[in-house]
Amino acid sequence: MSYSASDPITLEIIQNSLQAAADEMFAVMKKTAMSSIIYEVLDMGTGITDAKGALASSGAGIPAFVGMLDKAVKVIVAKFDKPGDIEPGDVFVTNDPYYGGVTHLSDIVVAMPVFVGDRIIAWTANIAHNSDVGGMAPGSLSGNATEIFQEGLRLPAIKMISRGEPIRSVMDIIKVNSRMPDVLEGDVWAAIASVRIGGRRLVELAEKYGTDTFETAMTSFLDFGEVVTRRALANLPKGTFELTEEQDDGQFFNVKVTISDEAFVVDLRDNPDQARNPVNTSRDGVMVAAQLIVKSLTDPYSAANEGSFRPIRLLTRPGSVFEAMEPAPIGFYYEVLLRVYDLIWRCLAPHMPDRLAAGHFASVCGTFIGGVHPDTGRQYTIIEPQIGGWGGKPGRDGNSAIFCGFHGETYNCPAEINEARNGLYVDRMELNLEPGGEGRYRGGRGIVMDYRLRADNGFLTMGYTRSKFPAWALDGGREGSPNYVRYLGKDGTDQRYSFVSGLTTHTDDVIRVVTGNGGGIGDPRERDRTLVAEDIKNGLITPERAREVYGYEA
Amino acid sequence: MINALTERKGVKVGLITTEGFRDSLEIARGNRPDFFNLHYEKPRPFVPRYLRRELPGRVTYKGQELRSLDLSGLPAILDDFRAEGVEAVAICFLHSYANPGHEQAALEAVRRLWPEVSVVSSHQITREWREYERASTTVLSAYVQPTAERYLSRLAAGLADQGFRHSPYIMQSNCGVDTLDSVSRIPITMVESGPASGFWGAAELGKLIGEPNVLALDIGGTTAKCSLIENGEVKIKTDYWIERDRTSSGYPIMVPVVDLVEIGNGGGSIAWVDDYGKLHVGPRSAGAVPGPAAYGRGGTRATTTDANLWLGRINRDYFCGGEVIADMQAAEAALGEVAGQLGVGVDEAARGIIRIANNNMVNALKLVSLNRGHDPRDFTLVVFGGGGAMHGMALAAELGVRKVVVPAGASVFSAWGMMMSDLRRDYFLTRLADLRPGSAAGIEALFAETEAQAVAQFEAEGVQPSRVKFFRYGKFRYQNQEHTTEVLIAEGPITDARLSEIETAFHTTYEREYTYRLAAPVEMVGIHLVASAEVGKLTMQQREGSGAAAETALKGHRDVDYALEGVHRAAIYDGERLEPGMHFVGPAIIEDPGTTVVIHPGQRVSIDGYGNTHIELNGGDGQ
Repeated sequence: MSYSASDPITLEIIQNSLQAAADEMFAVMKKTAMSSIIYEVLDMGTGITDAKGALASSGAGIPAFVGMLDKAVKVIVAKFDKPGDIEPGDVFVTNDPYYGGVTHLSDIVVAMPVFVGDRIIAWTANIAHNSDVGGMAPGSLSGNATEIFQEGLRLPAIKMISRGEPIRSVMDIIKVNSRMPDVLEGDVWAAIASVRIGGRRLVELAEKYGTDTFETAMTSFLDFGEVVTRRALANLPKGTFELTEEQDDGQFFNVKVTISDEAFVVDLRDNPDQARNPVNTSRDGVMVAAQLIVKSLTDPYSAANEGSFRPIRLLTRPGSVFEAMEPAPIGFYYEVLLRVYDLIWRCLAPHMPDRLAAGHFASVCGTFIGGVHPDTGRQYTIIEPQIGGWGGKPGRDGNSAIFCGFHGETYNCPAEINEARNGLYVDRMELNLEPGGEGRYRGGRGIVMDYRLRADNGFLTMGYTRSKFPAWALDGGREGSPNYVRYLGKDGTDQRYSFVSGLTTHTDDVIRVVTGNGGGIGDPRERDRTLVAEDIKNGLITPERAREVYGYEA
Repeated sequence: MINALTERKGVKVGLITTEGFRDSLEIARGNRPDFFNLHYEKPRPFVPRYLRRELPGRVTYKGQELRSLDLSGLPAILDDFRAEGVEAVAICFLHSYANPGHEQAALEAVRRLWPEVSVVSSHQITREWREYERASTTVLSAYVQPTAERYLSRLAAGLADQGFRHSPYIMQSNCGVDTLDSVSRIPITMVESGPASGFWGAAELGKLIGEPNVLALDIGGTTAKCSLIENGEVKIKTDYWIERDRTSSGYPIMVPVVDLVEIGNGGGSIAWVDDYGKLHVGPRSAGAVPGPAAYGRGGTRATTTDANLWLGRINRDYFCGGEVIADMQAAEAALGEVAGQLGVGVDEAARGIIRIANNNMVNALKLVSLNRGHDPRDFTLVVFGGGGAMHGMALAAELGVRKVVVPAGASVFSAWGMMMSDLRRDYFLTRLADLRPGSAAGIEALFAETEAQAVAQFEAEGVQPSRVKFFRYGKFRYQNQEHTTEVLIAEGPITDARLSEIETAFHTTYEREYTYRLAAPVEMVGIHLVASAEVGKLTMQQREGSGAAAETALKGHRDVDYALEGVHRAAIYDGERLEPGMHFVGPAIIEDPGTTVVIHPGQRVSIDGYGNTHIELNGGDGQ
C-alpha cells in the first residue's frame, strides 16, 4: 500500500492520529501519577512537536499548558546542537523558566526525541506540577522567596536518560532534593512513560505512512492552524485598544492591543520593573497568556498548534514583571499570567460583547496546605487551585464554581478523598452567597470551603489575586466579589488573607477558602423578573437585596 | 431508561445531603473540558437548589461516627418537598460508602413519614467514594425510578396475563441479567443494558469458537461502540457518564457498566466539509428519517451508507435486504455536494468518507486496546450491528488484527447475547488497606462478607448457593497514587502468605499497562466482587454442511471500490445459502438481509459449524 503525501485524506488521518497520541500520553500520565495535583487536578499537559520544536498537537489538560512544551523543546534543540548530542532513547528534562521551562520550578518538563532510523521526526513532551522540588518551603512555593534559588532544584534543560538508560546521578539528584522523594520519583517516571508511549505511536505512524508523508502532514497541520487564526482575525474589530488597571498591590498594569488583518499585537512594554517577590513571569509565560486569548477569540474548537499562534506579536521589556531576568523569583508566575490574560480580555470585552463575557474570578487561588496526617503519621501536602464564578454574558448568567481561564479539564478534590488522604475535615463546600455580580445577566457563584485541621504544626501558603478588586462588570452590571482566605483560629483569631506564606496551623483551626462571584452584565433592573424570583427561591439572594439591586417587589 | 434521562422525562426529585454539602451536586468537579471556549455551559443539576436540603451528622472516612445524625429537621423538609410536588427523594451522605448507618436511618425515617414517596439512598446503589459522583448517581436513579417501576410492573403483569409463569430477568449494564424485583429497586443499573448484551454475546461467542481474546465492535445507525474482552471476560467499570464529550462534563453514574467507548459514527452519520475544506463524518446523523439520501425520503446529506452504496460495497439492487429501492440519484447529488466542496470527483469523495469513518472507528478501537495497554494484534475482531461487517475487515487490516468474525445474525446479535447472559451482580466497595502482613485477614473478611451477602440475595431469589460463582478482584495502586489497577485474585482464601503473590500480580499488570514498575509500597483501595449464576442459557449446536462448494451460494459479480486498494471485480455470495465448511477468498461480498460483509482482496473466508463467518487477514491495509 502506498500513501501519497499530497492526499488530503491521508494527511487528515495522520493529523487525527497525532491528536490521539497526545491524548493517550495524557491518559497514561493521569493514571500513573502520584501527586493529586496531577491525577486529580490534572495540572499537566502533553504535546507533540516537530523536529525543531514547533507544537503540532497537545493533550487536554489545562489550556495554559498547551503552549509551553514547544518552548522547552526549542531550548533543548538549541543547547544540544552537536552531532551525537541527541540519540535514540534519550530523554531530557527542564523546569527552569530561564531554560525553556516557561513556568516555575515546580513544573517539570520531560521531552523525548522520536527517531526513525537516525533522523529525528518529532518530539514528545510532558509537563506536570510536582508536589515538592525542594526550595525554602514545603511545596516549593513561598511568597518570601527573593531569588529563584530559593524556589527549588533547577534543572536547566539536561539529559536524564541516555540511550534508554536512566542517568543514575541525575535521577539521584532530582530525588534527594525533594521533601517527598518517592512521590517525585513516581511522577517523573509517569512522565517518562507518557513520552515513551507517545514516541512509540509516532514511530508506528511514520513507518506506516513513510517519514516524508508524516512530516508533510505535520507541516500542513501547522499551516492549517495559521489559516484558521488568520481567517478569524479578519472578522475581529480592527484598531488599537488600551487599558490601564490597578492591581491589588497598588501597581498599575498597562496593555495596548492592536488588531489588524495580519497580526494580533500585544504591547506590554510600559509596565513595572520586575518584583523582588515571586510575582514575576518569564516572557514565555506572557506569550502563553496572549495565546490563550487569541485562541479563544479566533477558533476555540479546532486544535491549537504553533500555526494558530503565528500571527501573535508580543512586545515586552526585559527586566519588567512580564519579562523577568535571572535570578528573579517566579513561583507565583501563574497569577501574573492570569493578570495579563484578564487584562487583555477586559481591554477587548467592550469592543466584542458577543465574544467576551464580563470578568470572572480570574485567579488560580493556589492553596498549599501541609502537615502530618494524624492517622498515618505520614506527611501530606495539598496543592490545589480553586473554582469560582464566571461572568455573565448577553443572554446567559455566568457559570458557578468552575476553574479559571488558566485551567480547563481540571478536577477539584472530593471531600471524601481529601479527608482520607489529608489530615483534615472538610466541614462545608457551598456556593458563595456574598452579594456581587448582579446584572441583567448575573455572574456565577464562587465557593466557600472550610478545611478544619486535625493536627498541630502544619502550614498554610496561599496567594490569590482579585482579592481587593473583584471580577469586573460590563454595561452597568455589578462587579463580582473578592477571592480570599479567612483563617478562623480555635483561639478566636479571625484573619483575612490574600497572600500568606508558611503560616503555622493548629488543631481545630479552620481555613475558609472563599472564591469570588463573576461580574454581571447589563443593568440589574432589566433582569427578567422570573429569574430574580428563581434566585430568591433558590436562596441565592435575599428578598431585601433583590429589592435594593434589582428593584424587585415580590 | 436512558431516554427518560436524556429527554428529561423523569420526576421531580428532592435531595438530602450532609450539612454543608447541598451544593455539591451543582458545584460538581469544576472542570471545563472545552477549555478554550469562553462560552462553555456547565451542565445544569437535575435538582434545583431549593430542593436540595441538609441534615446534620458526620461519619469519618473510616466509617466512625463523628457526630450523630439529627433527624429533627426531616419532617419540615419532607413537608416542603410535598408542597413542591416532589415524587422521589434521594439521600446521599458523606462517607456512606464506609458506613451507611446514617443513610439507613434517614431512609427509614422518610419511609415512615412519607410511605408513598419513592426514595433511594446512595449506599443502596454504590459503596464507592467521591460524594459528587455518588450524589449524581442517586439523583439520576431517583429521577427515573417511579417511571421504571411502573414500566416494569406493567411488564410483569402483562407477562403473567399471557401465561408466563416464571419471573422474568432484566438485562443489566454489567452484561448480566437481574431479577425484576431487584431492578425495580435500582433501575439505573439498566442504563447501558443494550450495548452490554452485544458485548456479552461477543465474549460468549469467543468462548464457543475458541477465541477468548476479542475486540468487539457494534456499528449501528448513529454510533459505533467497542469493548475489549480478555480471556473471555468483559471488563466492568463504575466510571460511566451520560452526555459527556469533549464539550461537556456530563453527569456521572457510578454503577457497574461494561467498559466501552462510543463514537458518533454509524451508517447514518453525515459527511460534511468544514469552512477550511476538511472532511468530517458524524457525529450528526441522518437518523431513520430522513435517513441516508439513498433512502429517497428527502435526505440531502451524504452519509456513510450513501458512500458504501456508491462504491458498490452495498448492492444498490438489494438495499436493506431488498426492502428499499436505492435512490442513487439522490445519493449522487448528496455525495456530489461533498465532492464539490472538496474539489474532487464523486468517487474520490465517497472513498474519503469511508476512510475518515474508518479512521474514527480505528481511533475508538485504539482507545479500548492500546490506551489500556493491549496490543490489538493479539485479539480477534468480532463485528456486529447493521454496519459492523461492512467496515470490520478494513479496520482489522489497519490495526494488524489477523482474524475477524461476523456472527450469524450479526444485525440482531445483541438479542442473542442477552439469551446467553448469567444472573450477575458486581459489588464495588471502597476500603483502604496496606498490602502488608496482618492485613490479609481484613481483606478476606471483606470478600467473605460480601460473598455471604450475595449468596443470601441469590438464595432469596431461589438460586442455590452451590450455583453461585465468584470472581474476586482487588483494586490496587502504589501508595500515593489515585487511580487503581484491577487485578484478579486467584481462588482460595486470602492469607498473609499470599499477599506477595497478589502484589506480584499487581506489578505485572501495572507494568504491562504503563511500561514501568516501582519499588513503592502497594495499597488496596477497594474490592470488586463478581457473583454470577447461570440461568438457563441457550445451548448452541454445530451443524454439518452438505459439502457443497461455496460457488453454489454465488449470486454473481460486480465492481467494488476498496478505496486505497482500488476497484476489484468481487464475487457476490448469498449469505442465506452459505453453509458450514464453505470457504472462498476475497475480493468478495456476502449479502444477508440484515447486513453486508465486505471482504477485501486476498482475505480468506470460511463458515463455521454455527454459521459464523471467519475472515483471515494476511497483512494488507484497509484504508
